[in-house]
Amino acid sequence: MSDQLLSVSGLSAGTEDKPILHDINLTVGAGETHVLMGPNGAGKSTLGHVIMGDPIYQVTSGSIVFGGQDLTDKSPDKRSLAGIFLSYQAPVEVPGVPLYSFLRTICQMRPELKTTARKFRQRVGEIADQLDINQNFLTRELNVGFSGGEKKKIEMLQLLLLRPKLAILDETDSGLDVDALSIVSRGIEAYRKECDGALLMITHNTRILERLTVDRTHVMVHGSLVADGPASLIDDIDAHGFARFENALEQKEQA
Amino acid sequence: MANQIIEAHQEQTSTISRVNVPPAQTWNYLRINDLSFEVPTPHFVGDVYARLPRMFEGVECGIGDEAATWIVRASGDARFVEVKAGEQREQPIYVDIDASATEVRDTGVLVRTGASATIVTCAHGCEGDTSASLLRVVAERDARVTIIELVACGSGQQHLDAIGIDAAEGARIDMRQYALGGSRVALGLACSLAGTGARFALDSRYLASGRDVLDVNHVVRQRGRVTRSDIVTTGILADAARKTMRETIDLVHGAKGAEGSEIETVLVTGDEVVNKTLPVILCDEEDVAGNHGASIGAISPEQLGFLSSRGLSDDVAERLFARALFDDALIHADVAEARQAVLARATEVLGIDVARDIAEVLDIDFEEASC
Repeated sequence: MSDQLLSVSGLSAGTEDKPILHDINLTVGAGETHVLMGPNGAGKSTLGHVIMGDPIYQVTSGSIVFGGQDLTDKSPDKRSLAGIFLSYQAPVEVPGVPLYSFLRTICQMRPELKTTARKFRQRVGEIADQLDINQNFLTRELNVGFSGGEKKKIEMLQLLLLRPKLAILDETDSGLDVDALSIVSRGIEAYRKECDGALLMITHNTRILERLTVDRTHVMVHGSLVADGPASLIDDIDAHGFARFENALEQKEQA
Repeated sequence: MANQIIEAHQEQTSTISRVNVPPAQTWNYLRINDLSFEVPTPHFVGDVYARLPRMFEGVECGIGDEAATWIVRASGDARFVEVKAGEQREQPIYVDIDASATEVRDTGVLVRTGASATIVTCAHGCEGDTSASLLRVVAERDARVTIIELVACGSGQQHLDAIGIDAAEGARIDMRQYALGGSRVALGLACSLAGTGARFALDSRYLASGRDVLDVNHVVRQRGRVTRSDIVTTGILADAARKTMRETIDLVHGAKGAEGSEIETVLVTGDEVVNKTLPVILCDEEDVAGNHGASIGAISPEQLGFLSSRGLSDDVAERLFARALFDDALIHADVAEARQAVLARATEVLGIDVARDIAEVLDIDFEEASC
């Protein structure tokens, strides 16, 4: 077992009028790859956003400890600077901000990534080539007018540039064609190799996991983590679906 | 010879009134219908300078007749550029307005059938009283015209900038407007989409801070059938800046199938900011579509949430938007002199370290200059 990086303990959270997550316990070790699966509406994305500190959600109990530091009450920017990265399922468009300006600013916020403009440009260029991103995109406005696949590639570009300790990838594979999926998978693989960062993958698609060695698989149903196991659990779910987990939770709640 | 003319006669001033009057006015007590400027009275010493061909006389330019007449008179000379039919002109037509020398420019560009051209205007400088520019563009059938308008005057300068465009059938006008500085600035713009299928896209950006006054009038007349206009305005208002934005899309009788939209998003960061917006759609035709909207206040919660998840606090996000405005201007200012003017203004607003960083990230030479 590697060093504990993320520890979520007894976490319950939701929006103002609706509890969504119930008593979540989850630990991720440094450099580990975890997969979070579950049916639609189970609360997987919510968990990712709550770990990131999205103010839409309120934590009603429990804690989020990252790198030995309690981040439960910290704002998303503090969590990001601490080393957590959340790749959005639907990256937000920011008109008026060229991608270059954005990338430069987010790098300059991190002492470990501060560098000269020349080296920055070179690094961004290398990653863009790695991800088959046309360099013209760098002068376009952040995510504005980008296709779904292009947005996901730009998310991967940020992942490789920021080199976070933990990357939460929220259905990064959704809506991608075969070629784009291959490029994004390459990006994730590069992140694991080059940065040795931990991964929490939220996904329905096991193809994106083919290039990765999965350490743990977690199953979420109705806002609760109901099972976890080794990588083989993914194949099991692929074959049999989530019905048995949903039934088990129902029986538990009735009891 | 176009450099002009006001020279040592600035002790004589006159008042230009009814600057930037919108086509449809509202209650006077709102103080949004027009603006007045104190300007030097043009002084002539007997020289006779060139005038533009008469075809430009009827081109509406948004800033108002009185202001346009003053610019023509004060400029003394005029520059006329013709892009021949079918020519794809690569070298931008550059209009340089040195505000420090109180320059006033009068320019006419005729883009013939099927030709394409880029026009860059840039007003810049540190000191001086009043500068101005009037650019009129006639785009013939299927012409493609890109216009980059930069106003990068220093604090303490007064500037009037007017652009008038006539677009014939199938002509396409793409324009970017950057108001980056100047203590009292009027931007007038009028585009007439006269021909069937003519298109106009405007991306307008501004930054006003201190006690700057920025006054803008955008007018699009859609006269031809199936014409399209799309105006997107984004801006930042800081400190005690005062901004008035008038945006009018006029869907004229007979413009069947025409569509126009205008939207403004303002980021207000100062407690004493005065922000006025007058979005108007005039409609005298049934088969048309017009949309307008305005979002005023802060960056949207979704955008802030996204930027925050990448390590940017609200304050840093606001600074990013200011930097981004200069980045964007530099990316599109495709003339070395104009880029240096933008960097000089960035130095004044954001500081020399940020300005140098912007230049280096975009791989642009940085010549240290500021006001």
